[in-house]
Amino acid sequence: MSIDDIKILITDDSILARKQLKDIISTLGSPTFIEATDGQSAIDKYKETKPDLVFLDIVMPKKDGNMAIEEIMSFDPDATIIIASSVGTQSQLKLAISSGAKDFIQKPLDKGQVINVINKFLEGR
Amino acid sequence: MYTQFFGNYLLSNGYVTKEQLFSAMQREATQHMKLGTLAMHAGYMNASQVDETVIQQTHQDRKFGELAVELGYLTDDQVLSLLKQQNPAYLSLGQVLLDDGILTNSDFEIIMNDYSSKNGIQGLDAITEMPEAIHNLLNSFFQKSDTSVSHNGYMFVELLFNDFLRFIGDDFTPMNVKEVKGAPINCCVKQEVHGDYSINTYISMDQPTAIAFASRYVHEQFSEYDEYVQASLEDFLNLQNGLFIVNVSNDSSTELTLGVPEHVDTTELSFEKKTLQFEILYPFGTIYFYMELIKSNE
Repeated sequence: MSIDDIKILITDDSILARKQLKDIISTLGSPTFIEATDGQSAIDKYKETKPDLVFLDIVMPKKDGNMAIEEIMSFDPDATIIIASSVGTQSQLKLAISSGAKDFIQKPLDKGQVINVINKFLEGR
Repeated sequence: MYTQFFGNYLLSNGYVTKEQLFSAMQREATQHMKLGTLAMHAGYMNASQVDETVIQQTHQDRKFGELAVELGYLTDDQVLSLLKQQNPAYLSLGQVLLDDGILTNSDFEIIMNDYSSKNGIQGLDAITEMPEAIHNLLNSFFQKSDTSVSHNGYMFVELLFNDFLRFIGDDFTPMNVKEVKGAPINCCVKQEVHGDYSINTYISMDQPTAIAFASRYVHEQFSEYDEYVQASLEDFLNLQNGLFIVNVSNDSSTELTLGVPEHVDTTELSFEKKTLQFEILYPFGTIYFYMELIKSNE
């Protein structure tokens, strides 16, 4: 599968963080981007658009990233969710992974790490 | 961090005014280092030998190095080594102040020796590799301000200075920390840290400073205060606090949580709890950072 064929949901309350993530991913190709600014709208947009890949921040208004993972996973147990957060504590990492997140990227975003995650995802498809 | 605290030292000891320091900071990046300053810093010459060589230079149209060798103050090898070496950034600040006539060579020699010995610094070039020296610098920074912070508070402040270094640039000087009850604000963002160590954090600056700050943080040139500039302030604060709670978790297994960064829509902050103000002077403007200690040991 090519990156141009996939839909990526980027959820972060920071317009800057969303832009940085889109800029990095866009160096690989032109996927369809869907954006959400809080946990609840991530859940709503996931149900509406069924994206192939989700990037999710943890600290967000309305519903945080952990709650969003749980709801998305209960809706679609095959969802591929990657956490991108500055809160990379061991307990947070364990919580995210046990809730169903596939990977965790510590902010500030490292371009190489984001690209590796995308490539790993594409290889697994 | 030697460079950053060097400015604070000069200011605290009355060697310069804030205006003189700010003006020197704006020009230090383009500063051409003089051989006499480098020779004093390396311990090859003292201030009076540098002064003597400069006086001789006014009578003869010759290079400083040549004259210093002829006068027996330097060897050829020392001149070559001084010309080749990578010099620490703080020397540029000193050079601007020397050129402006704010400091004399004698002042600068005393300052370098005093500052090094007070902070237990040996081999100033290697300062960034010396955690103990950084520790001394921070302790001295708090002592001068007559303020103490807990272990977590100390970790927070050390990380804050490192984040400024890493994400905004190394050309800043921290002013002495102050306890404040309130503060006028312009572009301000707040984020709460919750748990056994609870603090409210704020970053505030005027609009032109915010635009320059965001340009450095994002590595893009912004020309107006827009949502990306505001998001840069939020992102920096979120990053600082996120990394802080990771450090606390690793250090003491204490789990803290973060609130959502929020724009503060007033013109004045008013604090109920003990609040520390950190004033960070950059050539492009001044950044204010507030740490309101909600639940801590301070």
